[in-house]
Amino acid sequence: MDRHLLPSEIDLLLDGEVGFGTSPLKTHVRKCPTCSGELEEARATVRALEHLPHLAPPPLFAERVLSRVNIFVPWHVAALDTLRGFVPSSRGGRVAFGVGAGSLAAVMSVLVLWIALRFDAVLFAVGMLADRVRTGLLDAAGTFLAGALGDSAYTLVRSSGLFGLAVLTVALVAAALLAATLLRTIAVHRRR
Amino acid sequence: MAPVLDLANLPDADVVALAQQGREPAYRELLRRYERPVFSLIFRMVRDRETAEDLAQETFIKVLNHIDRYRPEFKLSSWLFKIANNVAIDHLRKRTVDTISIDGSPHAATRAEIEATSFDVESRGESALEEVESRELGSAIERAIARLRPEYRSCIMLRHVEGRSYEEIAAMLDLPLGTVKTYIHRARKELRDALEHLRT
Repeated sequence: MDRHLLPSEIDLLLDGEVGFGTSPLKTHVRKCPTCSGELEEARATVRALEHLPHLAPPPLFAERVLSRVNIFVPWHVAALDTLRGFVPSSRGGRVAFGVGAGSLAAVMSVLVLWIALRFDAVLFAVGMLADRVRTGLLDAAGTFLAGALGDSAYTLVRSSGLFGLAVLTVALVAAALLAATLLRTIAVHRRR
Repeated sequence: MAPVLDLANLPDADVVALAQQGREPAYRELLRRYERPVFSLIFRMVRDRETAEDLAQETFIKVLNHIDRYRPEFKLSSWLFKIANNVAIDHLRKRTVDTISIDGSPHAATRAEIEATSFDVESRGESALEEVESRELGSAIERAIARLRPEYRSCIMLRHVEGRSYEEIAAMLDLPLGTVKTYIHRARKELRDALEHLRT
């Protein structure tokens, strides 16, 4: 090579590039004091850069950042953490917990299996139960109405069907509103 | 209670995975790992401690609040440096920044303010003379970096302070590879010229 290195060629050597292309450059640098000096100067600058320290932020920097970060816990992680909260820390406790949880899981599985196998019987029982609850609620409501309004009014409401029930409901709501307004007026007058 | 892990020995991707599960210690570990490099990059860009602190906070808040969007095929550090560089460049675009020395802000009126706005160059256990020389060169190079164009500054620091490859820098700064090489070449030349008086 009968010329000095180009700046891009010095960069190649500075970056530690290897390969056939850099071999003649290295040979030239060994022979040429000008290029060798230039490369050494460039290396000194790079060394100075590489020795620059990392600067420390103020002591409470991390706390300040974390106070403004929304740490989002996905539901499945939250659920697992809640479960883990129930697990005892001692080995014996964990074994007992495992046995207990296993037994409960086995009983629940058997129960679910039993219900699945007798689904029609379960449906029948649930239907019967719902029927009884409905009858009981209607009887209680009838008794309440008869007691509050008298037998004749109850009979009238019952015979007029849905219309009668609607009129009764509106009348009760209106009475409640009227009573509330009256109470409020009395309270305001007393305060004055 | 979550199982106790030695977070310091985990790779970034694993720590991020824990952060994505809402583990606060993982957030702390990420901050511990990157607060100094990110703060240093921003500080050397904006040359003001308070502003650098605000911008570094903004960087971490952006990254940590969107940690669920992180894709493990990329380096976390590249993502962080990219955002840090963007916030610093945005800030520099918004206002003209005074060039200050590492000895403190020119706006500092009292000794306390000078101390608050200056930064320390850590000792590396050298002899007294070496330390003085090193500090002199350190100060000189800090001043020389401060005089570089912001684009050159971020490129040269990512290359030689953070040890990133040209390709990584190009990806981080959204610049063509050739542009990054040119910026680094020019920055090296400007720094070399600026430090010439120390060698003669």
